[in-house]
Amino acid sequence: MKGQKFDSTVVLRRTFLKGAAAFGGAAALRVPHAFAQEPAKPAEIIVRAWGGSWVDSLKAGVSDPFTAKTGVAVRHDLTEDNEIQPKVWAAVAQGRVPPIHINWDTTTNATKSALRGVTEDLSDLANLKNTTDLAKPVGLDGYPIVNTYGYVYVLAFRPEAFPDGPPKSWKDLLDPKFKGRIAFYNDGIGFHFPAQVAGGGKLEDIPGNMQPAWDFIAKMKEQQPLLGEDPDFTAWFQRGEIDAACTISTNAREAKKNGVNIDWVVPAEGAKFDTDGLWIPKGLPENELYWAKEYINFALTKEAQQVWLDGLGLPGVVPGVNPPADLADDPSYPTSEEDFKNLIRISSKVQVENESEWFSKFKSIMQG
Amino acid sequence: MDALEAAAAVVWPARFAAAVPYLMLAPAVLLVGLLVIGLAYIGDTSLRTLDTSTFLLSDDYTLANYRRALSESLFRTVAARSLQASLIVTAVTLLLAFPYAYLMVRTPSAALRKLLLIALFLPFFIGQVVRAYGWLIILGNQGMVNDALSLVGVAPLRLLYNYPSVLFGLIQYMLPFAVLMLAPALTAIPEELEAAAHSLGANWLRAFWHVVLPLARPGLVGAGLVVLTLTLTDFAMPAILGGGSQDFIANAIYDQFFRTSDQGLGATLALLLVAAGSLLVGLVLYLFGAGTLAMGRRR
Amino acid sequence: MERMKPAFRQPQAAEDRQAAVSVRGVSMVYDGVHAVRDASFDLAQGKFLTILGPSGSGKTTLLRLIAGFLEPTSGEIFINGRAVSAVPPHRRSIGMVFQKLALFPHMTAAQNVAFPLKMRRRDARTIPERVERYLELVRLGGLGGRRVHELSGGQQQRVAIARALVFEPDLLLLDEPLAALDRKLREEMQLEFRRIQRQLGVTTINVTHDQREALVVSDEVIVMEAGMIEQNASPLDTYRAPATSFVANFLGVTNRLSGVVTSLDGDRIGLLAGDHLMVGAAAGPGGSLQIGARASAAIRAEQIRISPDLFALSGLETVLSGTVSDVIFEGDRVVYEILTVLPETGPLRVFDHDVGSRRQYRAGDAVHLGWNARDLFVYKADPEPAATKPDRGD
Repeated sequence: MKGQKFDSTVVLRRTFLKGAAAFGGAAALRVPHAFAQEPAKPAEIIVRAWGGSWVDSLKAGVSDPFTAKTGVAVRHDLTEDNEIQPKVWAAVAQGRVPPIHINWDTTTNATKSALRGVTEDLSDLANLKNTTDLAKPVGLDGYPIVNTYGYVYVLAFRPEAFPDGPPKSWKDLLDPKFKGRIAFYNDGIGFHFPAQVAGGGKLEDIPGNMQPAWDFIAKMKEQQPLLGEDPDFTAWFQRGEIDAACTISTNAREAKKNGVNIDWVVPAEGAKFDTDGLWIPKGLPENELYWAKEYINFALTKEAQQVWLDGLGLPGVVPGVNPPADLADDPSYPTSEEDFKNLIRISSKVQVENESEWFSKFKSIMQG
Repeated sequence: MDALEAAAAVVWPARFAAAVPYLMLAPAVLLVGLLVIGLAYIGDTSLRTLDTSTFLLSDDYTLANYRRALSESLFRTVAARSLQASLIVTAVTLLLAFPYAYLMVRTPSAALRKLLLIALFLPFFIGQVVRAYGWLIILGNQGMVNDALSLVGVAPLRLLYNYPSVLFGLIQYMLPFAVLMLAPALTAIPEELEAAAHSLGANWLRAFWHVVLPLARPGLVGAGLVVLTLTLTDFAMPAILGGGSQDFIANAIYDQFFRTSDQGLGATLALLLVAAGSLLVGLVLYLFGAGTLAMGRRR
Repeated sequence: MERMKPAFRQPQAAEDRQAAVSVRGVSMVYDGVHAVRDASFDLAQGKFLTILGPSGSGKTTLLRLIAGFLEPTSGEIFINGRAVSAVPPHRRSIGMVFQKLALFPHMTAAQNVAFPLKMRRRDARTIPERVERYLELVRLGGLGGRRVHELSGGQQQRVAIARALVFEPDLLLLDEPLAALDRKLREEMQLEFRRIQRQLGVTTINVTHDQREALVVSDEVIVMEAGMIEQNASPLDTYRAPATSFVANFLGVTNRLSGVVTSLDGDRIGLLAGDHLMVGAAAGPGGSLQIGARASAAIRAEQIRISPDLFALSGLETVLSGTVSDVIFEGDRVVYEILTVLPETGPLRVFDHDVGSRRQYRAGDAVHLGWNARDLFVYKADPEPAATKPDRGD
């Protein structure tokens, strides 16, 4: 496993430059929509997705209806997002056909790929005109990525552990009784920005001065938090290992669906709001690129979003999608201007450029 | 038959015979060669820094990654933790594996020997990751151990997600390797030698110390090296049992490659890990001698 | 102060009547099988005892009981008057040379010899001098620095002996250490054992299946079979007066006869074998023979005279005729196999030592055989008439 990861990330620089130049040339020569008819349908298109309820929702809302409509089969590749990234990068650098047609990715990670120039531009998708601002990636030219929904890093908690009512502030987690009973993402993602506020700092100072955030995180370290990834939070709540966590609402909702008593709030300091999106790697044959674009275009329809995002419990980018019954007026499902006031959005570009530093800063505090 | 030999002589003249041993070495040379090429690429990557505005590695060479790797407290902490763990795990594993292997080799009871062998091999069929998840189930807050403790009125204990639990998982994982490396070395020690030591006035402890232990040295060094290097480079146990706060070097490398996309720094850490491991192995061989691995001709 | 020379312990005075080793009714049962059955013997100080027997006879088990590696199922073993069953091997003052020598391969010859001294926490300053003295005793002076695998097979034997003796044990045990050597080296080492044992006067128990070794080196020989002691006597008596038909057959080249007792006259026994009436001597415990009962008899190949001329055998008490069936030339002697009319008996083996001057017989020649009554040992009939004779040597 480890060896394999290693090999795939060894990129020969010269090869990359050659490959990138070749693709640049090809792109310039290509005239979009020059075909009178639909290009040949590929046997299947491959969509990278997250497993569990994530892929189930995508299949029900987008992939299956897409196949029914077009006759193009969809295969889901469940390789982790951060592990597919170097493979795609290497394929593009070496001029090979990439291993997937569409990557379902976090906007931050997708932005890295966009900055590296391995993404196809999606500005010409017909359904983009129906979407909200959320669909447009911030700080990038055109649409190298299309955001498809937003999500909130909420404070999820077990009501039994908070007999006096839901927590109101991230600072509530500093109560000694929660020592060893709280959890964060292992790189701190989702917690850096509210920590900046909770530590007495200002969001405008990001990324220039984040000392308040680090001070607050250092205090949190004394609570000996568990550090994990998406599946860990659901598991930890289910096994009674933790009382509270900073995690994407979807994970908390998943545990709740499994019968665990869980609730979540957006505390006074706010909570991070971010988006996920879809993008297409460069280097696909012309006809496959066409059908990959058609897939994303379909994902932006109201009918697709309604089913897909019902499954995820997240707000989409097409107006008129109805929230699932259990999430009406939920802070993790922002729909109005008012809802967004308490959510923290930082541009992808700032995040991408500083994330590495924030991660290692968070890690060095937590690993110390 | 003569015709066959004549034909063979044409295809493979006798003067080529001297080349045969070298020819047989070819696959090994090829394998090592590929490894060296891979290392050269990693070495090249390690000298380039990541530009976060384009997510490309820099064109020019710099030692910046090495400076970061050696100066940032995160990497120092993680490296010290891996190194310390590899020493502790090696020592404890050898301590536990030796009596196990000794009993397995020496017991007159065939049934007991079979039982010990099965108990040894069973975990081999269960991968490291699955075993780690097994420990999550056993040692968790609602796991078997805490269930048992609650019967006697003890509140649930946090047994997981700390340094000791990572060490525990590693030792449990390494034990079969060590026993398997030790058993042949112990089998090679004739039982008569121990009887001789007793008849010459050595009690059990002194016979063990002066006869069994020195003769078991090749096995101990071999097992020690395997456990040491496997622990130093382990990824799964700290990732699963460490609760995210007990990273080893391999986890830090993973983060660089797959979380922050910084292949340069990842390559640097990987090379430093290779260097640290080689240094450690070299030190062990220097202290105990390569001859203890039954390498080289007997003096 | 130790005297410089002779530095070795002198043989104990003859007045010291206490047995160095006393084995009393010792039995050893493994998984319901008697490896040793009710063994008893005494061994005086300074004596060299050999326990002789085929493999599986229990001789090695008996030795390991004495060494302390095994605990007897019943009975007791005394060393210098002290009961030792509860004493672990390392507390018994016993030097042992093992079948495969069991030298420590990670040590030099000198370190091997020093080992028992170190284990006994002797004064470290005296150890090198003592080690060298014992290496000289076994004629390895100056070779102490060699590693075990740098020594020849014979030299390794000598290191093992020195190691077993250097701490002046009460008792030296030899567990077939010569079995793996070639014949010439083995015979040389047998004499070497004898020399060293006499020089040091150490009480020694040797285990072997080699009858020649037993006869050459020992003061006393115990012959064991199926866990039982068959005979305990001097080498000479063991050979000349075997107490049982097993002993008679185990030692030397022995012909087995059988017949019916016709007369009992003190030691002289009349025995009718087929049509032949012969006279023999009662062997083993007396009173066990009865007129009319079956008996077995043994005569050694070298006690049978052979001649083409019947008159040349006059004066011998038993004479019979036969035909040469095979001639086996062994260098220092010729072995003839002679077919006779005796019932239940294969060809008789006869030696002719005077290879050069006497006449040679060929297969098919008619010959006469004869022997003295005192050389035919008569025993109570074996329950099983055709016990096979073990191979000689190894």
